Amino acid sequence: MAQMMMREAILETIRAEMRRDPTILMLGEDIVGGMGTAGGPEAIGGIWSTSTGLYEEFGPNRVIDTPISESAIIGSAAGAALAGKRPIAELMFADFVGVCMDQIWNQIAKFRYMFGGKSKCPVTIRLVYGAGFNAAPQHSQAVYAMLTSMPGLKVVLPSTPADAKGLLTQAIRDDDPVLFFEHKALYGMKGEVPEGDYQIPFGHARQVRSGEHVTIVTCGMMVGVAERAADQLAQEGIGCDVIDMRTTSPLDEEAILDSVEMTGRVVLVDENPPRCSVASDVAAMIANKAFAALKAPPQMVTAPHSPVPFARELESAYIPSAPKVIDAVRQVLAYR
Amino acid sequence: MAALKPFAMPKWGIEMTEGTVAEWMVQQGTPYEKGALLALIETDKITNEVEAEAPGMLARIVASAGETYPVGTLLAIISDGPATDAEVDAFLATFKPADALGSAGRGSTDSAPAPQPAAASPAIPEDVAISPAARQLAEARGVDVSAIPGSGRNGRISLQDVEQAVRPPKPAIGGAPVSVEVPFAAIDHFYASPLAKRLAHQNGVDLATVTGTGPRGRICKADVLSSMAPAAAGPRVQLMDKVRKVIARRLTEAKQTIPHFYLRSEARVDALIEMRRQANLFLGSKASINDFIVRATALALIEVPDCNVQVHGDAIHYFPTADISVAMATDRGLVTPIVRGAERLSPHEVALATKALLTKARAGRLSYEEMEGGSFTVSNLGMFGVDDFDAIINPPQGAILAVGAVRRVWGEQADGSGAFESRVGFTLSCDHRAIDGAVGARFLAALKALLEAPERLFPKA
Repeated sequence: MAQMMMREAILETIRAEMRRDPTILMLGEDIVGGMGTAGGPEAIGGIWSTSTGLYEEFGPNRVIDTPISESAIIGSAAGAALAGKRPIAELMFADFVGVCMDQIWNQIAKFRYMFGGKSKCPVTIRLVYGAGFNAAPQHSQAVYAMLTSMPGLKVVLPSTPADAKGLLTQAIRDDDPVLFFEHKALYGMKGEVPEGDYQIPFGHARQVRSGEHVTIVTCGMMVGVAERAADQLAQEGIGCDVIDMRTTSPLDEEAILDSVEMTGRVVLVDENPPRCSVASDVAAMIANKAFAALKAPPQMVTAPHSPVPFARELESAYIPSAPKVIDAVRQVLAYR
Repeated sequence: MAALKPFAMPKWGIEMTEGTVAEWMVQQGTPYEKGALLALIETDKITNEVEAEAPGMLARIVASAGETYPVGTLLAIISDGPATDAEVDAFLATFKPADALGSAGRGSTDSAPAPQPAAASPAIPEDVAISPAARQLAEARGVDVSAIPGSGRNGRISLQDVEQAVRPPKPAIGGAPVSVEVPFAAIDHFYASPLAKRLAHQNGVDLATVTGTGPRGRICKADVLSSMAPAAAGPRVQLMDKVRKVIARRLTEAKQTIPHFYLRSEARVDALIEMRRQANLFLGSKASINDFIVRATALALIEVPDCNVQVHGDAIHYFPTADISVAMATDRGLVTPIVRGAERLSPHEVALATKALLTKARAGRLSYEEMEGGSFTVSNLGMFGVDDFDAIINPPQGAILAVGAVRRVWGEQADGSGAFESRVGFTLSCDHRAIDGAVGARFLAALKALLEAPERLFPKA
């Protein structure tokens, strides 16, 4: 076990995988040096520092700095994957997934299906998402709900450095396209990371806290929010079962339903706006499959139905927070 | 405006303090005719039918079936025609149980009606954001909607909000801090559901030994459970029902407080068996041996009136007639309905009376009068092959006769030779406070003489 930040865990995982498998290559904007340089001493390795040193080690054929064109990044990655490579494509801001939506939605997600299983498209797309950086509406969104709804894509959201390593390893080795969502605010999160080969299978939720009164289902950045809420509520004698979905597609329904059957009360925490969100999707699944176990209507804690505001005060009011989760827990407990 | 009146828990006997609504036989709001069956009400001993005294309808059913309520408790509101909720609520608010026991209103609190409406609740102002259905409910229940936070669009109060507000609050969860640490974090690397991990942790199952059968080979709850050693099957726990509780309480009281003593004897019944065969043939009746024994017991009680008694504290009540309780096993438990004036009945008539009581007992429809009183009990287990047993006195009666099976026994005959004969053994359990050994012995001698000369069991022509 080594202490490292999530950005280090991601970088080390990519480095280790690229050393292991020569077919792995990386594409993205500014991933080589940043500031218009081609590497060298001043290279910072992408604005997120998740590719520092890779260009020096693996060269220009495997670490490709692209023009500012998401469709070019994902389109090239799709072609390379069909031709036998294992590309890791980086979208510096997940918000711009709309620019390359055809490549993702109509091409990558459909190849295996349309070619009767005879082709595969092992692309890993890393998307940097999330609010909290005063980055305004076009650079702060949590778009994973929209992509979770698309068949043919696996959607992964690590919430700790260890999970980032285990899930990214799995994503790179997976023969199907995987969307790997990295929250900006988690890059600096420190944690123990297992050494050596470490894979976490998809569709395998993580139990973060263990309590018997209320189930909190969440993922990504919101896991930390739920943890803080659960720890505070535990001081008052309220036990929360916090479940980190880890992957919203495939979804670990069993882990969620097992817990809801025990608690009968559930709060869903999601950084997306409420409509057609992961929270509403999971709430519907619970209502559908565990109706008899429910003692109160599921409560959702989501962002409001609004673009992410620029003003700091508004942005912090926009993002689901521990006090909002605590309120929701109290609400499901008070239901009579 | 409908005329409303209460339907309260009736009082059928001086000892009746509470009753159970076994079943509602009419639905709320459905009109019924005079004489219609409204409800079945169970007491300690019986289930009784409550009939409608006049045509009408139940405007509201207040008491739940299966629940026990004190005498005088409001069970339902009877109306002569359709009544509005507001009328019924107003009636509920003013209802005072007539009973002097002080057991006001409804017994349990969990189903207590919502906050009682004021007699004339003010209408909700038009400018309050509230849905029509919520407004109707809030006005009917007299709920102060200004205190309700609306959950609808723009804070509008919905029907669910009003329903929530009128329900009693749940007991709060919380108190001392709890731990939310995941106790099985150490086994997180197994591909298993959280519940499976929890179970494995609690039961000391090594997940390395468990094969997963869930999605993608995951270890799920069933896998852990099936890998656990089967737990020893525990006993099936069944709470005592009303009848069983009464039996338990009365028999415990009898066995602990009455000084029992036991007298055994037996009678030769060859003549009785032959007499019964002929009588049934000629009379077309179906009297059993036990019916003859009940009849003989009745005559013996008249002959030895000191055994025909009830014990009430320091007083002994002597009875002029033989009202004999006959113990009967039913699906619902042991019951002891009474064959009254058995000394005046022929064996055939005893058989008819007993048969009628048994039919009612099996249907759970014995009336209070058919169970109340009696000066002596006959309990016969002969038909189950029991030779001999000791019965517990059925208080406040003074004695009980336990009758065994007819046995074929080798015995000495009047001429000194040996032959098989039929015998019935019986044990008389006596309350020594009222009956001494010699008195009990005289009764048994009289009974034996009657059974061995069965022609005496038929009334003189």
